[in-house]
Amino acid sequence: MSVAAPSAAALAVEGLQSGYGEVQILWGASLALAPGKLTTVLGSNGAGKTTLLRTVMGLLPAWKGTVRFDDRDVTRLSAHEKADLGMVLVPEGRQLFSTMSVVENLEMGATCRRARADRKRSFDQVFTLFPRLAERRGQLAATLSGGEQQMLAIARGLMAKPTILMFDEPSLGLSPLFTMNLFEIIRRLKREGLTMLLVEQNVQLALAVSDYAYVLSHGKVEIEGEAREVRQMEAVRKAYLGL
Amino acid sequence: MSLEALLPSAIDGLMLGFVYGLAAMGLTLIFGVMKVINLSHGPVIALGMFAVFLLFSSFGINPYVGVLAAAAIGLLFGTVIYFVAVDRVINAPELTTLLATFSVNLMIIGVGTVLFTTSPRSVDIDLGALRGSGVTILGTHAVAVVIAVLAAAALYGFLFRTRVGKQVRAVANNRAAAELMGIDSRRMLALAFGIGTALAMTSGALLSTLFAFTILSGGTYELKSFVIVVLGGLGNPTGALVGGLVIGLLEGVLTVFIPVAWVPVFEYLIFLVMLQLRPAGLLGSRA
Repeated sequence: MSVAAPSAAALAVEGLQSGYGEVQILWGASLALAPGKLTTVLGSNGAGKTTLLRTVMGLLPAWKGTVRFDDRDVTRLSAHEKADLGMVLVPEGRQLFSTMSVVENLEMGATCRRARADRKRSFDQVFTLFPRLAERRGQLAATLSGGEQQMLAIARGLMAKPTILMFDEPSLGLSPLFTMNLFEIIRRLKREGLTMLLVEQNVQLALAVSDYAYVLSHGKVEIEGEAREVRQMEAVRKAYLGL
Repeated sequence: MSLEALLPSAIDGLMLGFVYGLAAMGLTLIFGVMKVINLSHGPVIALGMFAVFLLFSSFGINPYVGVLAAAAIGLLFGTVIYFVAVDRVINAPELTTLLATFSVNLMIIGVGTVLFTTSPRSVDIDLGALRGSGVTILGTHAVAVVIAVLAAAALYGFLFRTRVGKQVRAVANNRAAAELMGIDSRRMLALAFGIGTALAMTSGALLSTLFAFTILSGGTYELKSFVIVVLGGLGNPTGALVGGLVIGLLEGVLTVFIPVAWVPVFEYLIFLVMLQLRPAGLLGSRA
């Protein structure tokens, strides 16, 4: 909360607690996304990154704390209501509609009224960004390669006309070449001024593209700061960059 | 026991198979979308029969208009069943949802027995018959086939060509992802339950134009639906239709050689063999 006052943030998370069943994972995580900026959340396995995103989106109920979007309390809204408002998550493991075609997956992305009105243009945009998907438009999502599936997952998210786009481990399982491609796309979206939240296991790359970074540990924010400052921190270099 | 009896019987069975298939499509759609084994399926089929019967006997409404009405009532009633009985346990293990729908079964049977008693009813309708060399096709059977085929086609048109239908498929495929894309998954589940119930009621409505029935008659067709659904692959509507035809044909042929009472024995034998050898069904399981 040190940089952006809550009212200036596109998304503000305050003291969020949640978990699965009896097991608490998040212990009061707080963070804020500045509009038009790329924010990254780092942390080792089990630090609570995915739980954070799932709770922010409402796939998991928040036990305590608040999520504010556009200065409005959205903590208790369900995931589809949040998507309707423009909060879009590209989930871990892609989570495509595997038995549906590429085009159908994209159509599902453009479900909310806001996105549906602009569907034609979104299709053009997405097919320009990912020409590969245009070639494979009729194919079932399950038959795409891993890299193509990740493209489709991102494209599907873009079809929703996000105000905030969140990524959960987008480079997981991708070849180095595809990973570079992916980060090129993220850079491009950043230049276009999209507010983004990136959870990524490739810490080096994530810090290189991000404006601001949070380091999550045991369900709480341990370190935060401008990405290039965080990159220089001794603790981060040791724990996450292997330097 | 002659071969001359075989052809007409086979044709009869095959035609009936379309109506069985329609009911099974309802059962398999609900399972495919929300992994709920719907034990209210049988009583709902019986309600379809009574919908046609009551509209016909009390208001003189044409039975085929009654079939349409049964479909509409089914859509509404299924949605109500979903919100009253299924929604609260939708994330619970399968046994819980099975028991929830079983309680709906008991309620319908209980209330239905009080209202309608268990004495047999029938809808008196005669559309004549087509007679060929040794084969007679009753008009009511032919119309039932046509309506069943139209209903199945409508289901496919809905699921694959309309926006809402695709949303139902998306929810069936990956509910969390559908939510993330802004799809109200609860609404889609309720709709799918409504459509499944509508298919069952339509099937019952068609059966009422063919045979006499009581409020308990749905049970037989429910069990048949389960055999058919396993035959066609759980959650696969095309498989259900194909499975319906197989079971219908089998019934038709078997009754030429053995007493009717023995037919279920063979049906469940198939059921067991399928579960052992091809649990994914004849067509394999998709969707």
